[in-house]
Amino acid sequence: MKYRDYYEVLGLPRAATPEEVRRAYRKLARKYHPDVSQQADGEDRFKELGEAYQVLKDTEKRAAYDRLGRQWQNGQDFQPPPDWDEGFEFSGAGNQPSANADFSEFFEAMFGGAHTGGRSRQTERHGAAPDRGAATADDLEDAYRGTQRPIPGQDHHARVVIDLVDAYHGAQRSISLQMPVLDAHGHVILQPRTLNVTIPKGVRGGQHLRLAGQGGAGLAHGPAGDLYLEIAFREQPRFRVDGRDVSLDVPMAPWEAALGAQVTVPTPDGSVELTVPAGSVSGRRLRLKGKGIPGKTPGDLYVILTIVLPPADSDSARAAYGAMRQAFHFDPRAHFTGGRP
Amino acid sequence: MKESVTAFLEGQIVEEDVEFTLVELCRASGASEEQLTLWIAEGAVEPRGSTPREWRFSGAALKRVRTARRLAQDLEINAPGIALALDLLDEINVLRARSRRSPGR
Repeated sequence: MKYRDYYEVLGLPRAATPEEVRRAYRKLARKYHPDVSQQADGEDRFKELGEAYQVLKDTEKRAAYDRLGRQWQNGQDFQPPPDWDEGFEFSGAGNQPSANADFSEFFEAMFGGAHTGGRSRQTERHGAAPDRGAATADDLEDAYRGTQRPIPGQDHHARVVIDLVDAYHGAQRSISLQMPVLDAHGHVILQPRTLNVTIPKGVRGGQHLRLAGQGGAGLAHGPAGDLYLEIAFREQPRFRVDGRDVSLDVPMAPWEAALGAQVTVPTPDGSVELTVPAGSVSGRRLRLKGKGIPGKTPGDLYVILTIVLPPADSDSARAAYGAMRQAFHFDPRAHFTGGRP
Repeated sequence: MKESVTAFLEGQIVEEDVEFTLVELCRASGASEEQLTLWIAEGAVEPRGSTPREWRFSGAALKRVRTARRLAQDLEINAPGIALALDLLDEINVLRARSRRSPGR
C-alpha cells in the first residue's frame, strides 16, 4: 500500500491549527468539487481532499497519523507498524456513512471500517451508489434484527459513457457496475454486476436513464429500488455536442472557399457530400438540417469552415503566392490606415 | 452469426419521459423532503402544483436536485446558497456552450 501525505494534499505544514485545516479543506473543496470544477482530475482530487480532511480534522485520528512520523513520502510503499493505533479509540467514530467514498487503501487500513460494521464503506460517486432517502443502513439493520415492515430498496446511480454514434442509432451495451449489497454480517460490500442495457436512440449527454426495479433489493417484500444511469459521451476530438446539435470544423483551402467546392464531410452517422458556396469566409457555419442527434425534433449538424493556408515551402508555391499578390492589390488592413473606418 | 439470447433492459429517459412526485424525487435524488422543500421555497427547484401533495417535478429536476444535495452535503451550503450556486452553474454552462460554439476556440 502507498503512504498518503495528508498534509501535502491540503497544502499545509505539520503544525497547522484545526482552523487552518478546515480553511484549507473548504477552499480546495470548492475549487475541486466535481459539480463545479471543470478540471479533468477534479473528482479524484476532491476525493483525496475528503480523505485527508477526514483524518486531519479529527484530533484522535490526526494524533495517530502524526505518530507514524514524518519520514514518509506521499506514494511511498508503506505497512502500518504493529500496534500503531494503541491507545487511540477513533475506530469508526465520526465516520459519516457515504462520506468516505472510495478512500485509499491506506485510509482503509488505518482508519477504515474494520470496527464500524461496514457503515463507512458506502460509496457515493463511483459505480452504483446508495443514496440516503430510501432505506438507510439503520433500516437495513432493523430488518436484519427482525423488524418486519416492508422496506423499498434504494435507488442507485451510476454513470455510463457511450459513443456519440450510439445516440444516433441506439445501441446495446453490457455495463459493469459495483452494486452495494449487505453481506451475511450486515456489512455493506461492493459486488460487481454486469447489466445489459439498451441505449435509446436520441439520448443526450447529461440525461438519465431509469431502469425500474434494478436498484437495491427491497426487504420484507418491499419493492426493489430503481437504477439511474447518467449518460455521458466519450470525449472525441472531432465533434462538439450542444444539446441535440453537433458541430465540427472543416478545413478548407483558400481556393475552395473562394471558388466553391464539393467536399466530403464526416458525420457521426457516416459521410455526406457538402456543397461549399463560392465566396465563403473563414468561420462560416453551414447547417445540415436534421443531421444532429435524432429525436422528436432532431438536432442539426453545423459545419464550420476554417481556411487553412498551404505553406510557401517550394519555389512554385512561393511563385503562386507572388502571383496572388500581383493579381489582387489586396490590403487586408486597409481600414487601419485608409480614409474610412 | 450466432443467435444472441441476451435480454437487454429497456429504460426510460428521465428528462423526457418521467415526472416525479415529492416522495419519488427524494428517493431518486437522496435529498430529504425538508431539504427539497427549502430549495423550492428559494425558487431553486420549481414544481408544478401548489401543495406538496400536488407537486410534480420534471425529469430534469433530478440532475438539479442531485447537484444541490451534493453541494449541500459536501460544502455545507444553505438553501439560499444552493439557489445561487445552481443559478450560477446554469449560467456557466450556457457560457461554456457558447464558447464551444464560437469557431477558432
